[in-house]
Amino acid sequence: MGLKGILTGNPMRLVRTLALGAITLAAMSLMLIGTAGSAGASSIPTGGTKVSGGTVRWAEPPGSAPTYIFPFMSSSIESVSNSSQFQYMLYRPLYMFGFPGKNSTTLNPTLSLASIPTYSNNDTTATVALKNYKWSDGESVTASDVLFFMNMLHAETANWYDYVPGLFPDNIKSVVATSPSEVTFTFNKSYEPTWMTYNEFSQITPFPTAWDVTSATAASGSGGCSSGVYGASSTDAACTSVYNFLNGQAGNISGFSSSPIWSVVDGPYTIAASKGGSFSSSGQVTLVPNTSYSGPQKATVTVQELPFTNDNAEFNALVGGSIDVGYVPQQDITQNTSNATNPGPNNPRLTNFYLTPWVLYGYNYAVDKFDSTGDGGNAGAIYKQLYFRQALQSVVDQPAMIAKFLKGYGVPTYGPVPVLPKNNLVDAYEQSNPYPYNPSHAKSLLTSHGWKVVPNGTDTCQKPGTGPSDCGAGIPKGAQLNFTMAYASGTEWQEQMMTVEQSAWNAIGIKTALVSNTFPTVIQDYAAPCMTGSPCTVEEGWWGGGWEYSPDYYPSGETLFQTNAGSNSGNYNDAKADTLIAATNTTEASLDDYQNYIAKQLPAIWEPNADYELSEVRSTLRGIAPQNPFANLFPEYWYYVKK
Amino acid sequence: MTGFLVRRLLQAVIVVIGVMAFMFVLIHLIPGGEARAVLGPRAQPPAIAAFNKENGLNLPVWEQFFRYLWNLGHFQLGRSYYLNQNVTALIGQALPKTLVLVGLSTLFAVVVAIPLGVYQVVRRNKPEDYIITGLTFVLYAMPAFLLGTLLILWFGIYIKIFPTEAPQSTSILGILSDPRALVLPVLTLSAITIASFSRYMRSSMMETMTEDFVRTARAKGAGPQRVLYVHALRNAIIPIVTLLGLSLGTIVSGAVITESVFNYPGMGLLAINSAFREDLPTLLGVTFVVTIATIAGNLLADILYAVVDPRIRYAKS
Repeated sequence: MGLKGILTGNPMRLVRTLALGAITLAAMSLMLIGTAGSAGASSIPTGGTKVSGGTVRWAEPPGSAPTYIFPFMSSSIESVSNSSQFQYMLYRPLYMFGFPGKNSTTLNPTLSLASIPTYSNNDTTATVALKNYKWSDGESVTASDVLFFMNMLHAETANWYDYVPGLFPDNIKSVVATSPSEVTFTFNKSYEPTWMTYNEFSQITPFPTAWDVTSATAASGSGGCSSGVYGASSTDAACTSVYNFLNGQAGNISGFSSSPIWSVVDGPYTIAASKGGSFSSSGQVTLVPNTSYSGPQKATVTVQELPFTNDNAEFNALVGGSIDVGYVPQQDITQNTSNATNPGPNNPRLTNFYLTPWVLYGYNYAVDKFDSTGDGGNAGAIYKQLYFRQALQSVVDQPAMIAKFLKGYGVPTYGPVPVLPKNNLVDAYEQSNPYPYNPSHAKSLLTSHGWKVVPNGTDTCQKPGTGPSDCGAGIPKGAQLNFTMAYASGTEWQEQMMTVEQSAWNAIGIKTALVSNTFPTVIQDYAAPCMTGSPCTVEEGWWGGGWEYSPDYYPSGETLFQTNAGSNSGNYNDAKADTLIAATNTTEASLDDYQNYIAKQLPAIWEPNADYELSEVRSTLRGIAPQNPFANLFPEYWYYVKK
Repeated sequence: MTGFLVRRLLQAVIVVIGVMAFMFVLIHLIPGGEARAVLGPRAQPPAIAAFNKENGLNLPVWEQFFRYLWNLGHFQLGRSYYLNQNVTALIGQALPKTLVLVGLSTLFAVVVAIPLGVYQVVRRNKPEDYIITGLTFVLYAMPAFLLGTLLILWFGIYIKIFPTEAPQSTSILGILSDPRALVLPVLTLSAITIASFSRYMRSSMMETMTEDFVRTARAKGAGPQRVLYVHALRNAIIPIVTLLGLSLGTIVSGAVITESVFNYPGMGLLAINSAFREDLPTLLGVTFVVTIATIAGNLLADILYAVVDPRIRYAKS
């Protein structure tokens, strides 16, 4: 029956036809949407005949296109998409961390521009010897290029995203280019060499002399920043002028690929239009091999970074075959994995791809505001009680939540040093999960400290005082455990975990109300430490992003848990912790003491850390997996094999 | 007419200033530090101080507002905190994309919906009328994300006759030179508009057909086609003109769901992302442009009334 037949037929027949059509349409749609089935565990393919060249279309995370090219970023601009996944391929940091195709967390001497520093004078001096790297304009990467960065940093600390007052570069007394290939740093005191290399020298990116200018037509080096004396006011003034010029150039996005400034690279890739590269303001980037790269491995594939509005749009492109390296959204993972770093069975719609989970070197936590005046003025005093923090943590069942809500693609947090990816810094005590899920223990912690526990009600303090069986200092009789936890909305697994935690806390009478808000709002309200003299009414908050150790790769806690540190969001204040943190900066064996103490003390509520990305790689692409735990890309090691 | 236009333009300026003042105050009433929200948990006090100074956030709110108005008067909408671009440039990239997508969809919807509404009146209470009514209800009730996803699955992934994404070019010419990639997003967006416009058209046309002047035209011997297309249509189309005028704001503000599903970052996504990121200069800039478009749309609709219906005149009284 044609359309005319339908239009002129009898009404009942018409209704039946329409109903049948609607049912068929619905059934087809359901079939198309839900064609998931079972599949075997995904594994990283090996072997094959190498094919030279080709293009890898790489999906940028949603809404995370690179926007800034100058490798000297302020906090508002700094992001993984700007540094690890863009700038590092053009402008190599002095020291690279991690290895291509491995999830190792250590310094990579092969890909670094300099040899590992030599420490002397009781570790108050370090000498950095540069290797024989070249800029694409033919100049060598020299000591004055390192000095250029250091002078810029000294002049523009407020515009350096990783600046922490008192640390780099405040603790550097002098930087001297002792020869064209050697730089000597003198510190204000003795420092533990690994800490210094991993947390401070790791921030350095040599700048070419061609950038030492204050106008597009000026002669190379005329800015005076690369040749000035470190710390001199005249050098600072020169560097500020150079910074203003370069920052202005870096604000002209549409001119990145045509700029003679940014075309001078020492990394394996370039975006120079003259070489076939490109950079669009909408986030499409074409990185082409830098044919004059002087590192150990020259790139052969071209990389196209492509922007996506959300993970569904990206997934459609992945299934449609228009990208080569992408990611499967959490909700499209069909089966669990047993380990966050190992792939489980892949989504059966992605037959031409293999799954490779991408785990970053970081941890996740929710903030307790130790100075909070919430909960009738008692919140801060309550959070300061270790037994209370232990009770809170003892009902957070991280392994179960990871299995249930992240399908296994997440890492539990048991302390400040990540337990995965595997690394030699995490201690056995922290790995052992000091506070396993134990609601009855949590309840007994409260009852044994003078609280009347009312499951699914509100606990009240019955025994005020500072004795071992009392509620604790500053907590009056009748004080209630009644808090508000704010969390960042928009991520399903975070919302699910918050709901489960709320339920678990309520079950032992820690009445918890949940409030969801946008990520920036939660950051705004909870990331900043409470200011002395200002009311601090907020109580608990979780923005979900946690902390990634980069470019401070050594997991010491001076920026996180030291008293008055800028990122000590909860205002945690503990003299012993301060001593242990200070020791990590100066002695080699102290990291274990620090991490175990912090793991035990719970300066924050440890929360599960989701895998950064569940990457999908075309089955003919090699050299990419496992991926770098600091989110760096090494496409110079990528290659296709014949089908 | 000239006096009317001048009065409306003056009103428009006042409305724009009022909307921007309201938005500015509303945004600055948000508790907490804007700098921390933008800079994240790593930011240290020197970075926060530098950010506040650079963006004038250390000044009193009234001074910030007058600076903002002054800049607005010079079409300087500020700089995005996150995207390292001027807001004017960001809008310059997003607006053409949205104009192409939503403009084409609206045009297609009008071209389909008006004849559809008229046809339903002609075949009133016949099976065709019921079928079209049923289909328009289904389309009207269907969320854009569902329709878009289904279209992608059918035509982009399984039959593979259209791309899964809208055109990725940044220029209008580039977008228009990839018409295959425009088919699915335009269909998604126009489906809902067709549904609503055709319902308005049907209702308006039915009402018009009962008017005295239609009976008079028939009595004077005008044929059914002439009555329908010459006498009735022109009068019945006024509600559609109103809808079109009002939709100019929508055309400029974008279709956030469709843009998101088809990976097509236009004005809608720019607005919503800047809201979620608390990228306030961008949010205010988008609000400014959308406000102007909404006012212009209303003005345009008023002018078109007079064109469509000569009885409407904007006299001094």
